[in-house]
Amino acid sequence: MPPVVEHVELDKKPQKPRLGGGGPGKIPHRWGFGGGDDGDYGHHEDFVSRRDRLRRYRVAMVITIVSVTALFVGVTTVYFLRGTHGPWDPVEKTYLENWQPVILPYRILIINTVVLLLSSITLELGRRGLLKKSEFVSMGIRPPKLQTEFPWIAITALLGFAFLAGQIIVWHSLRAQGLYLASQNPNSFFFYLLTGLHAIHLSGGLLALLISLFGSWLKLRFDSQQIAVDVTGWYWHFMGVLWLYIFVLLRFAM
Amino acid sequence: MGTTKPTAQGLLRRYVFTTDHKVVGLQYFFLSLAAVLVGTFLSLLMRIHLVWPQAAIPFLGQIKPENYLAYLTIHGTLMVFFVLSTVPQNGFGTYLLPLQLGASEMALPRLSMAGFWITLLSFFVLIAAFFAPGGASLAGWTQYPPLSAVPSAGPGQGTGTDLWLVSIGLFCVASVLSSINFITTTLKMRTRGMTLMRMPLTCWTWFVAAILILLAFSILLAAVIMLLLDRNAGTNFFVPANLLISGHAVDHQGGSPLLWQHLFWFFGHPEVYIAILPGMGVTSHLLSVFSRKPVFGYKAMVGAILAIGFLGFMVWGHHMFVSGMNPYAGFAFSSLTTAIAVPSAIKVFNWLGTLWGGRFRFTTPMLFSIGFVSLFITGGLTGPILAQPALDAYLHDTYFVVAHFHLIMAMAGLFAVFAATYFWFPKMFGRMMNSTLGSAHFWVTFFGAYAIFMPMHLLGIAGHPRRYSELTGVQYVAAMAPLQQFITAAAIITICGQLLFLINFFWSMFKGAAAGANPWECTTLEWTLPSPPPREGFGNQSPLVYQGAYEYSVPGASKDFLMQDSTATPQ
Repeated sequence: MPPVVEHVELDKKPQKPRLGGGGPGKIPHRWGFGGGDDGDYGHHEDFVSRRDRLRRYRVAMVITIVSVTALFVGVTTVYFLRGTHGPWDPVEKTYLENWQPVILPYRILIINTVVLLLSSITLELGRRGLLKKSEFVSMGIRPPKLQTEFPWIAITALLGFAFLAGQIIVWHSLRAQGLYLASQNPNSFFFYLLTGLHAIHLSGGLLALLISLFGSWLKLRFDSQQIAVDVTGWYWHFMGVLWLYIFVLLRFAM
Repeated sequence: MGTTKPTAQGLLRRYVFTTDHKVVGLQYFFLSLAAVLVGTFLSLLMRIHLVWPQAAIPFLGQIKPENYLAYLTIHGTLMVFFVLSTVPQNGFGTYLLPLQLGASEMALPRLSMAGFWITLLSFFVLIAAFFAPGGASLAGWTQYPPLSAVPSAGPGQGTGTDLWLVSIGLFCVASVLSSINFITTTLKMRTRGMTLMRMPLTCWTWFVAAILILLAFSILLAAVIMLLLDRNAGTNFFVPANLLISGHAVDHQGGSPLLWQHLFWFFGHPEVYIAILPGMGVTSHLLSVFSRKPVFGYKAMVGAILAIGFLGFMVWGHHMFVSGMNPYAGFAFSSLTTAIAVPSAIKVFNWLGTLWGGRFRFTTPMLFSIGFVSLFITGGLTGPILAQPALDAYLHDTYFVVAHFHLIMAMAGLFAVFAATYFWFPKMFGRMMNSTLGSAHFWVTFFGAYAIFMPMHLLGIAGHPRRYSELTGVQYVAAMAPLQQFITAAAIITICGQLLFLINFFWSMFKGAAAGANPWECTTLEWTLPSPPPREGFGNQSPLVYQGAYEYSVPGASKDFLMQDSTATPQ
């Protein structure tokens, strides 16, 4: 058996596939530059690491969105199962029919929808502006503040608050119909559960927006602010789509 | 990568509130160690109570039936959540995943830290239930409503159950955060040359288990929120109509307890694979290292891991055969469940293939890995039996089920954890664990595991139901008392045997023989670093990967193996 030749340039000669997993050596590849940097040490300021960091956070955001989707899939499944027929009553020997229709306050709901979709547009404008600026920063131009994007993000946050306020009005109008969370009517508590979970998730996005807005006071670096706005943008659009889904579900299933 | 400027941090930032994945991994490890000690102590109390129901325990007095059920609930919860889904995945995974991929940090280090602290909080909330009025929840780790949904259903069903639900809700959040981090790290942090098919199988299992956690725990979170609302906000998701508790009608109307079972087991079955997949990865890795052979059928192993993860989501109904489900649904769940035997058999075949003709080094981690294979086969063989609706109708809720899941999930999972601990201890603490004590620990635990759980199959076939604290006056159960006594004796001996591990662990931490960088002659990247690895991991020098993860007994190689970053080319 010929001896192993140590330290050979790899691309010179194709390797034979072996059993140890991985097969022959194709060395260079596209992903992964190693190293982490939102920890306590080590900041790379160079172009590659910033782009890499942005991509990493975007991947994490996509995975987060998958997880939130799973949560809502769980709730929707229960909603449909309860909707197809009521539960079995062993005493009366019959299926219970306690599924009563809910009169949705459409006007406020539609205004809310428009507000949320508008906020998606404003945030997208801010996100794109910041992304462009961050390219300049990576070319060595001094880090700017959020000056020009500040209004877009602030408007988004305000619209987000307006949406939440609108949801509170919706809940009040349901209470006026005598529909509470504590209820025998499944339609009623599913409405509160779905809209409430959505509102809680949206509040998380609002918090992230506020943190990136006031990031300069929190000593956040420009990079981190830009990344925060970028991934929150993705999340925010997802919240908009999720809201449309919930609205359609409530409209047609109730 | 990155400039490694020396960090002027206090001890608090360095060892407590730290983003260092190595410290976070150890924090998870010690949290699980605490959880496993409490959980084992509870199982000891239960075993003693089953055999001597009148015995007074020092400080606790006589165990009342509600205490027994509370111990049962917390034992199951601690072991499933805080041990089996914490230490193999978050403990060893957080410590080793970046190192094995050639990265110096997790993708989102602060998320690691947040995950650990939320898990710790969740642990304290769970334990606090013992001190709540009425004690801890009685409903078992599955928390079936209506028992779990109505506070008047029992002494632990008030505050105790609320605390259980809050604790598990927090645990869900922590697990999802940590799984986001695992998936991102695996996708984005691999060093140059570390292609997916060059990753060690441990990384593959952590990756797939993270995907399972992401989906399963999100569903459990939805279910826990709904059950909490049922208990505290007057909704009616899970409480059936016309429910009488102690002769009093409950005002809830028209929910369905079966919905909870569906949601819970849609989480619960993938959870089994979350617990065991990392163990499978560790076993594959270690069998290869210590028989000095490449993993037999690396690609088939990866395929089997993915298939197990995928099928794991489709079989939850086999926990519910006796719930009155449509027989056709039962048939579908039964067929899918038996289908999991195929990838499982591929894995066992490949483990045996890896061992075949190997040049064994019978170190402690190797012994525990072989023990894992043995227990996995023994526990696995009862799986297809329980997957038959007709057989399950008889065996459901008997000790047969207890024996099945303890062997395959608890014992096999724990053996993998022991193997991983003995194996990576030198990397974590820079010292070797004592191998004589390690072997003694292995043999006690191995025979102990079989002595405890094999007789339980017989109890189950004879019809002994599980979960009862005491069955007095039942003729056929009374006849099984000698077998129960044997199990309790075996349990006491086995639990005492674990002291060997604890002594070895803490003694070796300070006094063990110094370990070099690569004491086991292993190929993966964590062994290129000194033991223990420095804070900055690989620092500026991201390794370049040229080899697969299991290049052992390479023909003509000078040292019989090639490190993953070795540039050697066999000719």
